[in-house]
Amino acid sequence: MLAQRYAAFKQDLDAKGIIFSFSGYVSEGILYSLGEALREKMTLEEADGPTVRRVFSVFVEQMQNIIRYSAEKITAGDGRSIELSAGMVTIGMEDKTFFIVCANTLRSDDVPVLKERLDFLQGLDKDAIKAYYREQLREAPDEGSRGATIGLIEIARRASAPIEYDFAPLDDGKSFFCLKVRI
Amino acid sequence: MDALRIDATRRTPLVDFDFPAGVLRLAGESYPDDSASFFGPVLTALREWLAASDVPVRLDVELVYFNSSSAKALMNMFQALETAAAGGRPVRVIWRCDEDDDAMREFAEDFSEDLDHVEFTVAERLDAAGSGRDDAA
Repeated sequence: MLAQRYAAFKQDLDAKGIIFSFSGYVSEGILYSLGEALREKMTLEEADGPTVRRVFSVFVEQMQNIIRYSAEKITAGDGRSIELSAGMVTIGMEDKTFFIVCANTLRSDDVPVLKERLDFLQGLDKDAIKAYYREQLREAPDEGSRGATIGLIEIARRASAPIEYDFAPLDDGKSFFCLKVRI
Repeated sequence: MDALRIDATRRTPLVDFDFPAGVLRLAGESYPDDSASFFGPVLTALREWLAASDVPVRLDVELVYFNSSSAKALMNMFQALETAAAGGRPVRVIWRCDEDDDAMREFAEDFSEDLDHVEFTVAERLDAAGSGRDDAA
C-alpha cells in the first residue's frame, strides 16, 4: 500500500512534468541548496545558459518572497536568528517551457496591495516592464515592503508569458497565494 | 582610507575595494537574505572615501548573478559614483559578463541609462570562477 501510494504520487508529479517540488519550511540555506540542485539538474539536461539563469532568477525571487512574506512562520525561541517560513515551490516543464509555481499563506489584509501590484504587472508588455523596472531601480523601497516590488518586476521580466496568480481564502484571516511563471 | 575587502561566500560577492589605488572590484554571486545589511557598510565606506579623496575611480563588476535587492544596492553605488563623476572626478565602471548572458547585458543598460558622467563599458568576463585577484595594496 505504502509503495503504491507513493508510486501514484510520483506518477502524478511525473505526468504533470514536475522536475521537483518542495513543500514545507524554507530558509536561506534551503533556498541555496535547492537552487544549486536546480542549476545542476538543468545544466545536465543541457538547458541553455540564458534559460538556466532566468529560471534560477525567478526561483530565488519567489523563494525570498516566501521567506519574507509567508504568514506561517516559526522563529527560534532562544533569540537565535533562525526563521523558517512555510511555502511551496514547484518547478516543471510544460509544452517545452519551464514553469515555476510558488505558493504560501499570507495575511488576507495584505491581499489587496499584492493583487494590485500583480494586476498592474500582468497588464504590461515587455517594453513597459523594462521601463518600470528601471524606474523602480531608482526609487527608494516602499515602507514595509522589504523590496517586494522590484522582486515582482524581476519575476515578470524573466517570464515568457504573462504571470498567473490566484488567492484562496483560508481560516483565521489568512489566504493562500499562488504565482505561476513560465520561462 | 584603508582598503575594504570582504571575501565571497556562497551567496555574497567578493568586495575588493583598494581605496588608496582607486581600484574597486565586485565579483561572484549576490543573493543574501538581507542585502541591506550586506551592502549598507560597503556603500557607507564607498561614500566616505568618495567624499575624502579625489583619486580617479575604476570599478570592475564581475557578478555572475544578483537578486533584485542586490540590484537596488548596486544602483545606489552607481548613483554615488555618478555624483562624484559629475563633480569632475574621473570614474570608470567596467561591467564584465559572458557573451551569451543577455540578462547581464540588459542589466548593464538598466544601470548605465542615466549615468552621464561615469564612463561605463561592457566587456567579456575574465575568469569563469569569479575568484579574487592577488591583493594589490
